[in-house]
Amino acid sequence: MHLIVNQLAKAYGFLWALRPLDLEIVPGEFIALLGPNGAGKTTLLKLLAGLTMPTAGTIELDGKTLAGNSATLRGQIGLLAPADHLYDQLTVLENLRFFAALYGKAQPKNSLAAALEEVGLAARADAFAGTLSAGMKCRLSIAKWRLLDPALLLLDEPYGVLDGNGVDLLEEFLRQQCAKGHIVIMASHHVSRAVALCSRALVLHQGRLSFNQAKQSPWPSFELAYGDFLPRGGL
Amino acid sequence: MTLLGQTYLLLSKDLLLELRRRDSVLTMFFFGTLLLFVFHFAFDLPPDKIAELAPALLWLAFLFTGTLGLAQLFQSERDNHCLDALLLSPLDRGALFLAKTGFNFVLMFVVELVVIPLFWVLFNLSAWNLLPRLFLVTLLGTLGFCILGTITAAITLRARARELLLPLVLFPLMIPVILATIRCMESIMRTGAMDEAMPWLRLLIGFDVIFLTIGILIFDWVIES
Repeated sequence: MHLIVNQLAKAYGFLWALRPLDLEIVPGEFIALLGPNGAGKTTLLKLLAGLTMPTAGTIELDGKTLAGNSATLRGQIGLLAPADHLYDQLTVLENLRFFAALYGKAQPKNSLAAALEEVGLAARADAFAGTLSAGMKCRLSIAKWRLLDPALLLLDEPYGVLDGNGVDLLEEFLRQQCAKGHIVIMASHHVSRAVALCSRALVLHQGRLSFNQAKQSPWPSFELAYGDFLPRGGL
Repeated sequence: MTLLGQTYLLLSKDLLLELRRRDSVLTMFFFGTLLLFVFHFAFDLPPDKIAELAPALLWLAFLFTGTLGLAQLFQSERDNHCLDALLLSPLDRGALFLAKTGFNFVLMFVVELVVIPLFWVLFNLSAWNLLPRLFLVTLLGTLGFCILGTITAAITLRARARELLLPLVLFPLMIPVILATIRCMESIMRTGAMDEAMPWLRLLIGFDVIFLTIGILIFDWVIES
């Protein structure tokens, strides 16, 4: 998966949520998408997921322009929103089965059970998703995207609801995705964790891309760019 | 997966969720029954006018009951942003339209199965032998209602006052379906035969086929905008 973003912009009425942005991401890259609240991170993720129409610009995946009706391209994009995109009145197993079938990747029950075992939800397989905590829902989402294996995985603030073990699980999954040559783009306010994992960091500020560099050690330019938004005490 | 396969998957999911919650079907059933009782106490239908008025009253009940169901049609998708999950998937949006239309049709069919015989009993109608033919016409009318209703519900999905907006947009569009269905039922009840009802029946079938096709073709655009 090769991702090229050309002059991508989004306005809500008179407010520019994202100013014209150019970006190229190659297979296997892990992008940390950083910035303060209202910087345009979620807008960018939604545009890349095809859930919002851009005001201007295009998104190309492997040379093909992403449009709402391109089902094949959509099948390669995943959006992990920690406690969302699950049906509360379906059981954990039914949710997994439904989404696997929806992506044309129907699995036998034992494969689904194994996927739940890997994220520590085997004991809750027959519980309704609505009865799970936010952290457990996030684990279920991890199991879902592990099964669906998207070539471009977008994550919006995944850390907030996960416990320590859950964070390890998520990070291991993300590393595996990158090792397979898939692209991972994660928006997060957990700067140190995101920076530790990423191969490149993007910083958005007031809808503008203010920083776009591959990770280095030491990385003074990043600290400078992110300085205003760092928690007290720095990274 | 084919369009029909995706439709089946979504429809089974919606029916399973409804079986577990039962909120739409129970609300529609009680509201429909309640309307019939209100009509029963409010109108004293003379026997010579019954063929003209009964279909209109019955469809008034179906319209209001069906609109209640339509207001809830995308509820399971609104919860937890599940609509985003569906739009993100490689799903053919035509399948989403067919599944939602089918789901609403099943709900209304279940309600009509109870409401129509109840109407016969409450208004003391004797022509029970006409029921199968009337039921067939009602189903065609219901299909038209569900097709237009699903498109309208999707259009008003992200509107602030969607419950108010839905009937305002839907009812004017429904005029051909309601007119054809009521005229068709009235002819059958008056003459006891289908002959006179055939032009209206053809209009109804034509409407259903045309709007079902249009719905599949435009739903992609409707649901995204």
